[in-house]
Amino acid sequence: MSVKTDDIFIVGAARTEFGRFDGEDNELAERAVRGALADCGLTWSDIELAVGGTNGETKPDNLVSRLGLTGLPFVTVKNGCATGGVALMTARNGLIAENLDIACVVGYDNHARGAFNASPARYGLGDWYGATGMMVTTSYFALKIARYLHEHGIDQRTLGYASAKAFDYAQEHPYAWRRKPVSVDEAMDADMINDPLTRYMFCSPDAGAVSLVLARGSRAFDLCETPIRLASVALRGRRPGSFEVFSPWLSPGNRTSPSIDAAKAAFELAGITPADVQVAQLQDTDSGAEVIHLGETGLVAHGDQEAAYRNGEFDIDGRLPVNTDGGLLANGEPVGASGLRQVHEIVRQLQGRADGKQVPGAPRVGFTHVYGAPGISACSVLINEGAQP
Amino acid sequence: MSIPTSIEVVDATLFTSVDPVILAGSACAVCGAHVFPPIESCPTCSSLDVETVALPTEGTVWSWTTQHFAPKPPFRTDEFTPFSIGYVDLGLVIVQGWLVGKTQWAIGERVNLVLAKAWTNESDTVFTFGFEAVT
Repeated sequence: MSVKTDDIFIVGAARTEFGRFDGEDNELAERAVRGALADCGLTWSDIELAVGGTNGETKPDNLVSRLGLTGLPFVTVKNGCATGGVALMTARNGLIAENLDIACVVGYDNHARGAFNASPARYGLGDWYGATGMMVTTSYFALKIARYLHEHGIDQRTLGYASAKAFDYAQEHPYAWRRKPVSVDEAMDADMINDPLTRYMFCSPDAGAVSLVLARGSRAFDLCETPIRLASVALRGRRPGSFEVFSPWLSPGNRTSPSIDAAKAAFELAGITPADVQVAQLQDTDSGAEVIHLGETGLVAHGDQEAAYRNGEFDIDGRLPVNTDGGLLANGEPVGASGLRQVHEIVRQLQGRADGKQVPGAPRVGFTHVYGAPGISACSVLINEGAQP
Repeated sequence: MSIPTSIEVVDATLFTSVDPVILAGSACAVCGAHVFPPIESCPTCSSLDVETVALPTEGTVWSWTTQHFAPKPPFRTDEFTPFSIGYVDLGLVIVQGWLVGKTQWAIGERVNLVLAKAWTNESDTVFTFGFEAVT
């Protein structure tokens, strides 16, 4: 194994349990940061750059009042559901651009119950859009997967397979929120929220925090027994032809997606192909989103998802275990934390110390994908350089 | 274009005409992209050379869902009952709107533009646009 000193590695990772939280948001974040520092034997004063991501009203950069006034630069990012991926990228780029050794990333949120309630004006839309019931995230997810199933001839039951898989993984994951198993039939027969998506096919906003410590190659192996190389991270926005939330219109013709573009860029930067991935985390805000993103990232051919779920390809002993911590469906979505939860799970899987079910055979290559409003996606490739190819 | 004052609508800028009902869009003079509702610059090519145009009133259902729970405010209704929302392919542009008259649809179904009751404002009925199945 040859390590370049300018390679960036993840050397520490910690998360809180996701669910409801009554305390102050920054208390949750502090818990995750202290956990990640302990994971690699560092203290806050060792951190040279911090990046905090949240979609709420708290100020991540004020975490220094809890963690220590060391004078370090603390960058705040806020990019909706893609916040975690953007925070990770910002920290990586900061280490390289400023020639630093160690950075800390933290993502967290503590949301109110129920679906998000977005304001039309914040998205440049007239009041009519909200008043007539168009500005509803669940209907967007439903409209998107309904079209996708139609275009690719995929049976609706595929949505039930995705839900059942998520809750099956979550049963054994100590930090997941919803750990009660749900069968395919239960998922299909549950109350309809937005056709074709039922109650068990959506994630809910909740609370949680995740933190990672990143280190340059010259330090990584002193700090961590099995550092995981951040081989690439790529962020992309929408182009004409994408289908995004809160869109009063779409352009006809070829369909594009920021997820397609970000995944392609992440694979190219890492010098690998989707076929090399051995464990993956995909944005599953709803069951349909997982189905779509399996195709858009190139991990599965469009239209092959139904058979792949049925054949257990995404199960722990399958060809490509997906969302092994239960994903958003079982963890809920504290928006700022969600993307880093994905990275946390992949790091743990590649290190062979998964919190829940462990992918067998010492996987070497992992992949993460976040996607959110108003049409952005961030993807990363993570590699255990010590594992046998 | 003048909007008849006798019919109250959720937002007059959505229409070039309310009776008969016709939606207003923007057409880009540079790249030809059509969008809804009208805007001041083209999101496809960034041109400022856009003009307001009347959009086609017939199309096909491109995707649909039925909303089974009442959305939070600012959603307004006199009394909630499940209603359908879809994207309708008008050829030049795909427009999001209500699908009225039933709650189960098929992609590809032919629809045309109608006015639909949104809510009652004191004594006046306020209308929005919707699409109903061509019989």
